Amino acid sequence: MSWLTELRTSALLGTGRHPAPTPPVDLGVCPPDAVSPEALLLDQAALADVATRAARVAGGSDHLMVRPAGADDCPAAPPEAARLLELLLNQPPVGKELRDHLVQEWLRTAAAAGRRVPHRLLPALLALAGSRPSLAGHLHPAIGARGLWLQELRRDTSLDGTGPEDPVATAERPGSAEDFETLRRLDPARAREQLAAEWKSLTARERAARLGAFAENLQADDEPLLEAALDDRAKSVRETAVELLNHEPASARAARMAARLEPLLQVKRLPRKHFQISLPGVPDDAAVRDGVPADPRTGHPDRVAQFHVIIRGAPLEVWTRVAGGPPATVLGMLRSDSRIIDSLATTAGIRGDLPWIRALLDLREDAELLGHLPGEEREQHLVRLLKTGSTLPATVFQLLHGLPRPWGGELSTAVLDRILTKDGGTLAAGTASFLPLCLTPETLKHRALRHEPPDDDACRRVLGDITRYHSIRRSLTEAFR
Amino acid sequence: MGGWSEARVIESAPDESSLVAARKLARPGPWSETGSNDVLVWGKCQGSGKTPYQVSIDISAPAYRCSCPSRKFPCKHALALLLLWSRGEAAATGAETADFAQDWAAQRAARATAREQRSADRTVDVAAQEKRLAGRLELMDAGVSDFSRWLGDLMRTGLASARSQPYRWWDGVAARLVDAQLPGLADQVRSMGSAVHGRADWADHLLLCAGRWWAMTKAWEGRDRLSADELADLRVALGWPIPSAEVEGSEAMAGPWLALGAHRSSDGRIQQQRTWFRGPDGGIVVVLDFAAGGEGLAAPQLAGTLVDSTVARYPGSAPRRALFTAPLLPGGTSPGLGTGCSVAEALRQESAAVAVSPWRERHPVLLAGVRIHPDGPGWLIDAVGDALPLIEAPMDSLLALTGGHPVDLFGELEDGHVRPLSLVIGGTVVVP
Repeated sequence: MSWLTELRTSALLGTGRHPAPTPPVDLGVCPPDAVSPEALLLDQAALADVATRAARVAGGSDHLMVRPAGADDCPAAPPEAARLLELLLNQPPVGKELRDHLVQEWLRTAAAAGRRVPHRLLPALLALAGSRPSLAGHLHPAIGARGLWLQELRRDTSLDGTGPEDPVATAERPGSAEDFETLRRLDPARAREQLAAEWKSLTARERAARLGAFAENLQADDEPLLEAALDDRAKSVRETAVELLNHEPASARAARMAARLEPLLQVKRLPRKHFQISLPGVPDDAAVRDGVPADPRTGHPDRVAQFHVIIRGAPLEVWTRVAGGPPATVLGMLRSDSRIIDSLATTAGIRGDLPWIRALLDLREDAELLGHLPGEEREQHLVRLLKTGSTLPATVFQLLHGLPRPWGGELSTAVLDRILTKDGGTLAAGTASFLPLCLTPETLKHRALRHEPPDDDACRRVLGDITRYHSIRRSLTEAFR
Repeated sequence: MGGWSEARVIESAPDESSLVAARKLARPGPWSETGSNDVLVWGKCQGSGKTPYQVSIDISAPAYRCSCPSRKFPCKHALALLLLWSRGEAAATGAETADFAQDWAAQRAARATAREQRSADRTVDVAAQEKRLAGRLELMDAGVSDFSRWLGDLMRTGLASARSQPYRWWDGVAARLVDAQLPGLADQVRSMGSAVHGRADWADHLLLCAGRWWAMTKAWEGRDRLSADELADLRVALGWPIPSAEVEGSEAMAGPWLALGAHRSSDGRIQQQRTWFRGPDGGIVVVLDFAAGGEGLAAPQLAGTLVDSTVARYPGSAPRRALFTAPLLPGGTSPGLGTGCSVAEALRQESAAVAVSPWRERHPVLLAGVRIHPDGPGWLIDAVGDALPLIEAPMDSLLALTGGHPVDLFGELEDGHVRPLSLVIGGTVVVP
């Protein structure tokens, strides 16, 4: 046992239980006589302290090999631009989503100007990109060779060298629901074949979930599988298939539904042209298979509910054919029956049937349907909706968010006008995260941004954000000029 | 006194939140009647109240005054004004000094004069001074012998049982040392209370520290045999500071002084800043600044800047503590920090320093051509492959700045680890 080990043992146990070791003679130490065991131990501890500190040796570096970063070809961003980026990273003067956009804009402008992020700002930028996936795709080429090197280094140390895999190859292996969803997104036909092959080995829940994944990119080729799913043992699978087939007005099921719907519709011409609608009778087995609820064993059957299932399953042309006119005519003939119009709106919505949607929107504002219109048309409807002054449904924020940017002048003005009204706070709060991104610089002349800010906090904040966002963008362009 | 850079303003902020608040105010909107001269920057800031806050800043001290109720110094208003001023967006020179700023400067001057007067007036009562000294020595003697008895008990019962003691046990020992006017020793003992629970190598750490403390008590008892410098080192370690008045009178060394690197720390009550400088003769000194409560630390000297001033050095072994005895004039920046050494040489220097002053735990090192490696705590590796672990290293920043290429690095060698304080990148000294 070495002297130091012995010393440690004595100290841990205490001299009361363990004697102090003999001082190391080969260090030329000769201890004084007649000292207490504690003093002898402490003397040696003092010696060990000095000896340890005076005899340190460097560690080897064989396990510490890193390939240095390659040289950066383009020059760093000019100082003013660097200052802006630093501000955005460390003390963003605007909200998080706006900040991300401004950082993206910075990276784009820098890349276009052939400049790169100064090395000292890379850690903060990469840390931000790590938590904000929307930024990650914009890092190159502005982060330069040094940034790439740092990213590789991070990957190496955090993932133990497992590289990224081909997403299709990963998703094709039988496995989790997410894998299947990925495959369906990337290769719908292969996903369909895989599901058909695995059908028998999957649980009811899995079958329903995987079928549900078809909703995102439903195709005519999916019909045979969906048709077969109508005969599935599990109710949840049958319901999913019904939901999906509702999207397909050209399917065999839709034709069967049309055959059920048409006899129920009769046109009467007096006093003026209108529908006389009969409710369906007892559904037969084929109807139940197509999703029409069977009659309950006891109590009254809900014929109205059965009728609405038929409406949603049948093609909308049944209505125009029977009425002998376009959707507007059909709607005019149904004016008094709002529940049927609701069902037609749902059907038009899930099919994205533009003529019907337009006709329905002429009848009433419906934020849900607006979402199916092409950008410009949607914008016009939103302007109308904003100008009505009626309470805005929460879906409006999503619709505004989804519009192509920048917005036209009319919509921009309508939104700013609305923010200045008494209930503008809701709109301001709902759009705060993206409104500044949607406005063109011309809109900044609006009175909302030139006069005293309103009292409402949310309004003040969003108006301030608009001004700040655009002023930073301006500075950014100038900084790289 | 020239203008401040924005970096320097940022450094003077007491905390991050003040700076965030200040940035929001650093726009011309709320400000009026701003101005500056060589010494003062002033302005009025419209806050939530009716009367605007009056802000005055003495940039030479630096000292801050604001009529707002904030207890931070400098407050967000002062910081915002300095930001505007540093960017040249407000408080241009030329305006007549505002009354409130003038009054404040006059009050400060009057107080300073009064203070000087008092110290000059104080007749040196030699007898009373000696009595005080004798009293202090008696107290310290008693404290030291009490402490060495405690060390003996620690060794008899063993370190394992000391580890089972609660924090207040260590605090109690530290408090007794403070009462005995041995605050330096007290700090070491107090921090041991958490080290025995926090460190994996706690047993070795405690054993070696106990040995060092023991050696300090022995050295104190035999202080008559120590040289003046050895005694000075021991005094610092025990916590008996040498009054700066005694140092100011000693020989002043002319500059320029190159700032090598600085480290700031705070224990909650007291902020400390230590800055390493190298003089024209190659000798290294360290300047300590303290600030307690509402005071702000002296503005830092950024690594790589040259300072024209004279310093007086405290007694003790090299590198010695020093203080500036003349106004600090900017003398430009240096493209590098000088010629560094290898890791082996740095360890040799540490070894030599320990031999001269076994109490000292921190040594300045300038290493040449070292590469940074992120493994574990972080490492630096020199040209021949010798490696030293890092402490308190901002690893992301070090890697981003160096790219894994060799650089000159200045830092503090402490307990076998290097705390990096500055680097030389492409002919510029940067702080990671």
